This record gives sequence, C-alpha cells and structure tokens, in this order.
Amino acid sequence: MDAFGGLLTGFGVILTPENLYLCFLGSLIGTLVGVLPGVGPLAALALLLPITFTLTPVGGMVMLASIFYGAMYGGSTTSILLNIPGEAASVVTCLDGHQMAKQGRAGAALGIAAIGSFVAGTLGVIVMTFFAPAIAAVAIRFGPPENFAVMVLGVICTLYMIAGSLVKGVLMVALGFLTAAIGIDVVNGRERFTFGSIDLSAGIELLAVVIGLFGVTEVLNNVERVVKSTVVTDRIRGLWPTLADWRASWRPMLRGSGLGFFLGLVPGGGPVTASFMSYALEKRISAHPERFGNGAIEGVAGPESANNAAVAGSIIPVLSLGIPGNPVTALLLGALVIHGVQPGPLFITQRPDLFWGIVASMYVGNVFLLLLNLPLVGLWAQLLRIPYRVLFPVVLLLSVVGTYSANKNVFDLWVMLGFGLLGYVLHKLAYDLAPFVIALVLAPLLEQSLRQSLAMSPDGAMIFLQRPGTALMLTACAVLVALMFRRTKKS
Amino acid sequence: MFERALNIFWILLGGAAAAYAWTLGLVGSSGPDSGLFPFISALIVMGAGVVLLLRSPGEAVAPDFPRGAALGRVLGVAAGLAFMAVSIPYLGFAVAGFITMIILLRAVEKSGWVFSIALAFISVVVVVWLFGRVLGMTLPRGPWGW
Amino acid sequence: MKSVIAVALLSALLATPAVAQGADAKAELGKVKPKDFPTGPIEYTVVYPAGGGMDVTARLLAKHVEKWSGDKIVVNNRTGGAGMVGHAYLATQAKPDGYTVGVIANLMWGDAMLRAQGRWAYTDLEPIGYLNSDPLIWVGPTDGPYKGMSVKQIVQIAKDKPNTVRAATVPGSMWDYILDQVEANSGAKFLRVPFQGGGAGINALAGGNVDIAQGFFSEFRGLADAGKVAPLGVAAPERLSFLKDTPTMNEALGGNEYQWIIIRFAVVPKGTPADRKAYLGAAVQAAMKDPELVAEYLKAGVYFDPKLTDPARMEANLKAYADAEREFYQKTGRLK
Repeated sequence: MDAFGGLLTGFGVILTPENLYLCFLGSLIGTLVGVLPGVGPLAALALLLPITFTLTPVGGMVMLASIFYGAMYGGSTTSILLNIPGEAASVVTCLDGHQMAKQGRAGAALGIAAIGSFVAGTLGVIVMTFFAPAIAAVAIRFGPPENFAVMVLGVICTLYMIAGSLVKGVLMVALGFLTAAIGIDVVNGRERFTFGSIDLSAGIELLAVVIGLFGVTEVLNNVERVVKSTVVTDRIRGLWPTLADWRASWRPMLRGSGLGFFLGLVPGGGPVTASFMSYALEKRISAHPERFGNGAIEGVAGPESANNAAVAGSIIPVLSLGIPGNPVTALLLGALVIHGVQPGPLFITQRPDLFWGIVASMYVGNVFLLLLNLPLVGLWAQLLRIPYRVLFPVVLLLSVVGTYSANKNVFDLWVMLGFGLLGYVLHKLAYDLAPFVIALVLAPLLEQSLRQSLAMSPDGAMIFLQRPGTALMLTACAVLVALMFRRTKKS
Repeated sequence: MFERALNIFWILLGGAAAAYAWTLGLVGSSGPDSGLFPFISALIVMGAGVVLLLRSPGEAVAPDFPRGAALGRVLGVAAGLAFMAVSIPYLGFAVAGFITMIILLRAVEKSGWVFSIALAFISVVVVVWLFGRVLGMTLPRGPWGW
Repeated sequence: MKSVIAVALLSALLATPAVAQGADAKAELGKVKPKDFPTGPIEYTVVYPAGGGMDVTARLLAKHVEKWSGDKIVVNNRTGGAGMVGHAYLATQAKPDGYTVGVIANLMWGDAMLRAQGRWAYTDLEPIGYLNSDPLIWVGPTDGPYKGMSVKQIVQIAKDKPNTVRAATVPGSMWDYILDQVEANSGAKFLRVPFQGGGAGINALAGGNVDIAQGFFSEFRGLADAGKVAPLGVAAPERLSFLKDTPTMNEALGGNEYQWIIIRFAVVPKGTPADRKAYLGAAVQAAMKDPELVAEYLKAGVYFDPKLTDPARMEANLKAYADAEREFYQKTGRLK
C-alpha cells in the first residue's frame, strides 16, 4: 500500500467521533502532563495504560501517542514562566525562554514554542508518512559505534553551549559525568560510588537534579530579594510574537525539526538530546551568540521544534520495526502487545488500519495541540502577574510532587534539595549549570556505547573507522573541535 | 575567599573520586572497566580546580551572598523543603505539604495567618486531587489514611 | 445454516461451564477475603521498565485479578539497576501489610545471592502465585555469513576462530551463564557484547551488529515473523509447542545442563499477615484459571511449568529451583 493510500485508510480510521475524541483527550492530558513539573510522558502513559484496556487498539494507541507528543508542547510552559522544566526535554528552553519571560515577553516565547512544536510535529509526520520503511531500514543498522559518534557530537555541542568561563564549564561537564557514574555500571553490573546504599544504587534521578538545579535554585534566587513582587518586573509587552520574532525563528524551527527528527531515530537519543543539540547549533551559527542566555528567541524556537520532531523520529522504529529507542516508545510497544497486536516489521502489512490510523492521528493531534496551546498563551502569561509570595510555595509544592512521582522515593526529594542549594551557590560563583545536566544525560549512553563498541570489535578502536557512518560523524566532531579552538584563539 | 574554598573542594573531590575509581579497575579484559570513565572525569574536575585556583584573584567574581533577612528567607525555603522530605513518610503527603506551605508562606514572605492557611489548604487539595485522582498516582498517606 | 447452529450450540455449551466456573471462582475468592481488606488500591510492583515483557505480564495479570476480585490494582514500575532497585525495595522497604505485591522473576535470586551484600535475602520475599515460564532462546541472523547455520555450527566457528563471533549478552545473569557453559564445554570463545536486556541484543542482531543473540519469544517474535531473525535453540527441557522445529539447546549441543528459564511469579514481603497473603494468592490463582489470561500468555510464547502450576507444591518446587541456582553459583565460583 503506498503512502497516499495508507493515509486515506488512516484518516478513514481516525475521523470517527470516538477516535477524534480520544486524540483530543490525549492531547489535553499530554499538555497538562507536560506543564506539570516532574510528571513526564512516561509516567503519564504508565498511569493511564489501564484505561486503554476498555478501548479499541486504535483508540488506545491514538490516545497514548498523543499524550507523548502533547507533553512536548506543554513542557515549555513552566520552563518559560518559572524556570522549572516540565520535563528533561524542556531544560534548554529555560535558558532563554525564562529570560524572555522576565523581560515581559513570555507571550512571544510561549507562542513561538507552540508554533515551533506544531511545525516540527507536522513535518515529522509528513516525513514519516512517505519514508518510514526506508528510514527504518537504515535506523536498524545503527549500532553501538554510531550511537557513540552521536554522543560524542552531543558532548561537543555541550562545550559550545557553555556560557562564561570555559574552564568552569568543562568542570561542570566532568562533574556531570562523575555524577552519572553513581549507581550500577550497566555494562558489567557492578556497583559504583554507591557505598552500600540502596538508594544510591539506583543512580541519581535526572528529574530530581533538573527540578532542583533549575526550579529550586530559581526560587532561592528570587526569595533573596524582597523588592520584587512578581516574576516579571517589566511591563508585559504584547502577547504575541512580533514580525521580528518570526523572522528570527522560522529558520531555527526548520533546522530544529531536521536535527530533532534525525536524533529521534538514534536509540537513546530522543527529545532530550535533540533539544540541546539544537540550542548548541543555533548558538554556533548565530551572528550574535552572546545573546543566547539573555532571551534569544532562537534559543526557544530551535529546541522546542527539535524535541517535537524527535518524537516523530522515535516513533518510526517502533511502528515500522517493533524496536523501541527510549522508555516511552518501549511502553507504546508494550501497549500494543497488551492490546493483542504483534509489533514488528510485518505490523504495517498485517494491521494497516492501526499503523496508518496512528500516523493519521498524529496530523490531527498536532492541530489539536496548536489550537489548545495558542489560546492558553494569554492565560499562562497572566500567571506571572500573581504575586511571587503566593506563587512560589505552590511552585515548590508542585516541584516536590513532580520529583516524587519519578520513583516514589523520598530520597529523590533530598537530591532535589541538595542540587537546589548547590545550584544556588554555583550560580553565585558564575558557574553555568546547563552543561552539568546535559553531561548527566549523555554520560551513561556515551560510556555504554563506547564499551559496547570496543567489546564487539576484534580490532579494538579501529571499529570507529571501519564503519562509514561512524567515521563520518567522528570526523565532523574533530572538525567542530578544531573550529572551536580557532574561535577561542581569535577572541 | 569563598571561591578559593570551592576550588580547593573541587580538587579534593576530584582526587578522592579518582582514587576510588582507581580501585574499581581502569582497564579490563575487553576494554575500559568500571573505573575508567569516572577516573578521567575526576581528573578533569581536579585539573579544572587547579587551574581555577591558580588564576589571578582579579578574575574571580565577588559573590554576593545574602545577609540578614535575605539569608533567613533562603534558609527558610531550604528548611521547608527539608521538613517536607523528612515528614512525608510519617505524616503523609497532604499533611506534610500543608504544614510546609504554611512554613513557607509565614516564615519566608510573612503572609497573614488566614491567607496562609487558606492558600495552603486549597493548594494541597488541588494537587492531591490532580495527581492522586486525575493521574492516578498513589501519594503517601499519613496515619489518618489520607 | 446447520453448521452455524452447531457452532452456536457448541459455543453455548462451552461457555456455560465457563460462566458457571466464573460464579464459582468469585464466590470462592469472597470466602477467603479478610475483613476490612483491602480498603484501597493494591500495588503490583514491577521491577523492570514499563512496556517490557515482565511489565506486560504484570499488567495482564492485574487486569484479570481486578476482574475476579473486584479490587483495584495499580501497576507500578520501580526500575533501576536491572531490577536490583525494585527487588531491594520489595525486600526492605515495602510495608508487609498486604498492599504491595511484587510481580517478579527468578532473576531475583541472582540479585539476592550475588549482589545484595547481606542487605536482604530471597527469603524476604514469599511467593504467592506462579504465573508462567519463559525459556531463553538463541536467535541467529537470516543475513550475512552466519545465516542459516545451526547452534552447533556457530559454536564450532566460535571455537575455530575465537573472538570473532559476536554474542549479545546481559552481564551478570543467565545470558552470561549459558555462554559460560557453552564455552566451557566446547572450548569456543565468543566476543561478548553487553546490553541492558535481551530485546536490545536482538535488535542489534537484526541490524547486523551482533551475530548471535538471546532472548525470549515475545522479544523477537515480530522480527522472526518478518524473517529478520531466526530462533536456533531453546534452553528448556523440551521443545516448545509453538517452535516445534527449533531444537532444544540440549539436543543441539548434547548434554542436559543448558536450561535457563525465566520463572515469573508473584510475591509478598515477608511478614504480610497470613490471611491477607492467602487472599492475595487466591486472587492470583483465580486470574490464572481464566482461559482468557492463559490465552494471552500463550500468545506471548510462554509455557506453564507443571511443577509449579499446582499451588500446593509451588513453594517447595520454587525453593528447589532457587537451591539449584545457588549450587550453580557455588560450583562456578561466583558464590563462596
């Protein structure tokens, strides 16, 4: 069945009142889940999975999928307004998005985030429609060496992102790597840096670190000063992006979409990696990189598009091959199995109604989400008018619940508090906190893929040169590093 | 002075971590062992700490740590969160959250009693409803069953 | 027309005992239900990520337990450390008040015996119901230099050219152990590539990144149906009914020690009151008798071990399996 025929089938399946309603409901829940700090799509899908038992497979999958990409729309909201990431893929949006909010431009930031998400989501589904099988055939060949190359690229992007002192930034990256080592070494099952503690053997929960380092730190910074009564000191200037904003944003949106889609295909890549790589890219090619970190709208447009495109990218291996690239898509697979559907390469031919129904639902879902999120922009921007003394306890309460929701472990709350205090101190001493978080995300994947690659290679490190894709990417990395040195030498 | 203390802390932390990582083994039969990555990372932390320590003091930013009332507010927030973490297993989320919010509202920003109690109550009820009912999460319950 | 009536009658005949059984089972369950229990949802803890084989098993079970007992069951994933975090939670932190049930596998024994470092033991978790068994299956490529080969042939190549055949493994568990056994018995030497689970290794196999992988039927079925991978040997005592053409590892290599099977069962923390434990166990048994659940499990490619399906002998036989595993660890020097 060709793509157009498939789409027709898909739309025929999805355009029923029941399925449309489920798509809308999923979008709504996804947005809500994205907005709430801590609770991410994985938690929401796991919690709502039983509800889908009473639905048809199409209905259930449509709802679950829309929660997944819906969360990427909502995630930017608290990042922009309160500097609390809705989930890990929205951390980068805090950097410039919140600065924009402080300058009274929350509306523009939220609007661009929503539209960027829509553009990326829709483009992603279009590519998925026509090229899914071909892309899947390539994606399946991605092995540990390719993953390693992508992760190295990620680390280099992190270095590009460092604002301020390079030495301090490198220290933060190394500290992130060190923190990521706490727990169980996945490659051989040994405990590292756990000192006998069961809590530490699970590793340091990323969500707790993110909410602590960004959300709690921000609250601590704010309560210091009693003069400020609301988050925004400037007058709220207009609720919509200006023409200048559009002109600045449309190219980052496209670049973010492309980059995000590609990264969604890589196992372990996904929305988080996509978001900050897009940020690094935008900063690198910008004519005025010093604007980043101070309210550059490209720093919102790119990452927010990237994380939505990554969702579409990561769904392709699931639907076309039955191969999950990250925990959320693994859950979608499990849901298929529970509904009695066998995922795998034959899925598209055995259940074209289900395959194309899900694809078609993604078009519809993105439209729903745009219609849901744009009107809310005004509402959210007004939220910043609430006096801070009322806002911050509620924000902290939400942070606590959100962090707790990750593992239902009180230990994570201590992690959150600890990193909040650490972030507060480090911020005062001019340390850039984002590289730490990114290193924390990348380190396990980097280490695992390196050791897997070496394990599977009879010739040791030569494997990185023997595989064309890897060799290409690593050469690109070397070039980027060289360019970076040239730049610092010049300045 | 604080900056210097922090740099020394990095050096010590890096050194200790590197030593521990060494005991995990750096190279195994099939390539890097458990200790290699942490070892290299720890060395970088240590090295960066040394570089920062050696840099001229003029480069360092004088940190503006809060004093007096401002410090009190910052510590108040930290104390509130710590109280929450300590008490949730015993009091349950609802009660711990309620008390914590009152602490934060009263101690940190000096809101009125009526206002604090009202806001704390409403917030906790809404959050418990949202996460507990709508999203179906099981939040820890206190000895009273909720 | 006659055949339609016949089918209808037959269905009615078959359904009636099921309906009658249904009423019976619910009544039976009601009899052992303790007073004032449960007053809230019961958590079924899964120690592996959502969407995986264990998780799907647990969710299907929960769905049917809810149906038969009327209680609300919430499936909760407590992941980390390849199950270690969840096992430790169940053994040391979960309250033994009947509101926590662990849906786990015999991989827990490895964690308890080798990695718990004295913090807890496998006897801290008491089995209440057996679910199913899933044997480890060797899977090979359908493309490339090793395509179409049997287990014996591949092992031979691994012996003739050591460190060239790439085998996917999950370190520290049965994936490693069976490779150890094969290597010890044949002198072969595989190049082991570590992954976090069987599924990841099989995906790598499909992409040509390893030459042989191991996993459970549910993990590779989709790819096998599409001809991307092929099952080569089953580490079970007998051939599987749905993989009749695939020999057992014992048949393929000779001997009888190549048996590595995931046994899934439900547990409660030690100290749970006896009446609640009995009720929770009965609820699981009732669900396991449901033909719908059995059918769903069979679709996932499991089988039911006759030594464990009888509730009266389950606990003793599980302990026997655990003891056998401990012996294996002592014999291979992993446990002093």
